[in-house]
Amino acid sequence: MKPTYFINFMMGMYIFIFFAYLFGPLIVMSITAFNSAEFPSISPWECFSFRWFNEGKIAYDGQHLAGLLSDWRLHDGIISSLIIGAGVVSLSVPIGMAAAIVLTQVRSQLRDIYYSISIMPVLFPGVIIGISTVVLWDRIAGLGGDGFISDVGRNGIFLTILAQTCFISTYCFLIFVARLQRFDQTQEEAALDLGATQTQVFFKILVPYLMPAIASAAVIAFLFSFENYNTTVFSILSDQTLTTVIASKVRLGISPALSALALTIIALTIIAAVTYEILRRRSEKKYAQSQEIFVKEKAASGRINKEYKAGFKVPKGIVAILLVLVFATYGATQIVKNDLYGQSCIDAADQEKKSKFLEQLQTLESNELTEEELSGGSLGGTEDYGDIFGDPSLFQDFGGFD
Amino acid sequence: MSADVELNNVSVTFGSFYAAKSVNVKINGGEFFSFLGPSGCGKTTLLRAISGFQDPSEGSVLIDNKDMSGIGPNKRPTSLIFQNLALFPLMSVSENIAFSLEVRGVSKKDRQKRADELLELIALEGQGEKKVHQLSGGQKQRVAIARALAVEPKVLLLDEPLSALDLKLRQRMRTELREIQKRVNITFIYITHDQGEALTMSDRIAVMNEGEIEQIGPCDEVYNNPLTPFVATFVGENNPLFGKVKEINQNKVRIETPDGDFLATMNENKKLNIGDEAIAFVRPESLFIPREGDNFDNQIDVNIESFEFEGNIKNFYATLKSGTRIKFSIPNAIDTSSISSGTKLQLGFESIKSSILPKAQLAID
Repeated sequence: MKPTYFINFMMGMYIFIFFAYLFGPLIVMSITAFNSAEFPSISPWECFSFRWFNEGKIAYDGQHLAGLLSDWRLHDGIISSLIIGAGVVSLSVPIGMAAAIVLTQVRSQLRDIYYSISIMPVLFPGVIIGISTVVLWDRIAGLGGDGFISDVGRNGIFLTILAQTCFISTYCFLIFVARLQRFDQTQEEAALDLGATQTQVFFKILVPYLMPAIASAAVIAFLFSFENYNTTVFSILSDQTLTTVIASKVRLGISPALSALALTIIALTIIAAVTYEILRRRSEKKYAQSQEIFVKEKAASGRINKEYKAGFKVPKGIVAILLVLVFATYGATQIVKNDLYGQSCIDAADQEKKSKFLEQLQTLESNELTEEELSGGSLGGTEDYGDIFGDPSLFQDFGGFD
Repeated sequence: MSADVELNNVSVTFGSFYAAKSVNVKINGGEFFSFLGPSGCGKTTLLRAISGFQDPSEGSVLIDNKDMSGIGPNKRPTSLIFQNLALFPLMSVSENIAFSLEVRGVSKKDRQKRADELLELIALEGQGEKKVHQLSGGQKQRVAIARALAVEPKVLLLDEPLSALDLKLRQRMRTELREIQKRVNITFIYITHDQGEALTMSDRIAVMNEGEIEQIGPCDEVYNNPLTPFVATFVGENNPLFGKVKEINQNKVRIETPDGDFLATMNENKKLNIGDEAIAFVRPESLFIPREGDNFDNQIDVNIESFEFEGNIKNFYATLKSGTRIKFSIPNAIDTSSISSGTKLQLGFESIKSSILPKAQLAID
């Protein structure tokens, strides 16, 4: 084996392991969303079902396990998460932009100090930001009596927007700093020289230049806000966001409805990413075409005017899609072959579980205790344990609970 | 409409560093005036002081006899063409050109009309819809000029705008700039470190060194009668011959150097006395190989070291008796095939073509 083959093989393995590590949990979780079992699992496979995406189920013991569509707490959480996200975007983008612009104007040793202070919020633990926001606003709310300030100061959504903006505006700041570093300041001077006022320079030169940064800062701010937990859990007070709802659900035992939610979010993300990529490539192609026309216009000779020959190549993406299709078909045929889908399967599974439950109940009820067992069983009489707290020497070395 | 520009005792300091030091110059309306100097000599600082981006630490800038202190760059009747042009990459060519009208609230129709007029002036008709990145270097250059001219400034300031272009284009743009200046008839103030640009385009030039103006005058005067050794060696090439003043006869001075005595012409503004340390300058093109019957004021013995062929001329590098290196150029029309390294020659030059100045700092190449 040639060493290059070996290196390529190792590279392939590495990439496979890397992607498996990255996407494996997501794939497994996505599959569990389609299993009708109460606990998210792949095996044992109960039935293929969409119920965790819509109504959920009423368990045989009467407990209601909500599906994605019928879970009102989740819906409330999503709505407040969206409101908070919008609030955070509309605060952190301008704050980050203003801070970054100030940085370009500071040109002394102050610059380093200013920069350090500006990025400090990302270094603070989110918990501290959350708690300190609550503490501060509780004081402020306490000042104003029962009026508007008191309402605002104890409004979880308002506090969460403020607390998250604290550190998310710093991420926006960094995005703007990166873009502004490449800004040619003579453009501002040129605009000024041509008679523009400072305001006009800002809106006609700087803002159009910063547009890509504004867009990415807004997206990043929204995503950070949407997924934030450790700051939100304190500042949200009595309200709930998506993350706190999920966290509280995990505490009570997770249900496949969460898998369904995760799959929905993943799907939305992929759709958004693919759409963005398609649009980007389209505009890039347009730009490349215009450049090509320009180059051809410039080139007087036919030297670079030759037509490009179109070759046929199998796109690498197709291979991956085929692989996914193969696995999906295999899974589907297995499910169909074993009749592991549809209402009948679910009914049968429920029936089986219910009967098992009843059986256990019956066993418990039928296990009546004998006289002997009640009086201490074969291990002896009650007197063995009777005086356990009466013995003064028993706990003499016990130092107490720490 | 053109305007006079006057710098009265202008100094610009950054901390203790003088970027410009007591600069006095009066630029007449409609003139093509150049500031010529090496990088870091303060010429860009002066331009920024005129355009309003830099407040002078001392002195005042007068445009059209009005003191400009406290007036921002957007309120001055000047337009600046930046070294990197600073075209707006997100706007089309027309939008770039009409930007100054847009910020003044001119209607879209009038803006378009003016942009079309200017596109015609710079010979880019019908290309207003293009983006800036679709233009070539020379076209960008012309768009920058059109943009600066859109508001009809009284003074156009140019900060080495040709330095990014290749040689051919640069030469063509020189002529074009000059033509545009004649057509619009406004004051052009041009900044450059390229003496060729300054000499070909300007009516007058000011040579700057370390923040100070060394000489102001018409191009030929600056070239032929430099006031300082710096000017003599910065504007064009010059061979310095160091020595002591031996004899003065009106404006003719005899200088004693290790390589012999030479007769040179003294500038009437730079008086010399017998015994003063001085430098006589002779340009490469003023040194001749004497033919039969030629009679030069000065003779000089040289030993050829090397030569290079430049096309229209051939440059020879030679050493003198004392080891001083000199350069001389012979037009290609004269046959010089017999001269090669090691050849010993006697060259001649006229005293009228050699200037003598008190010893001072030279421009370092």
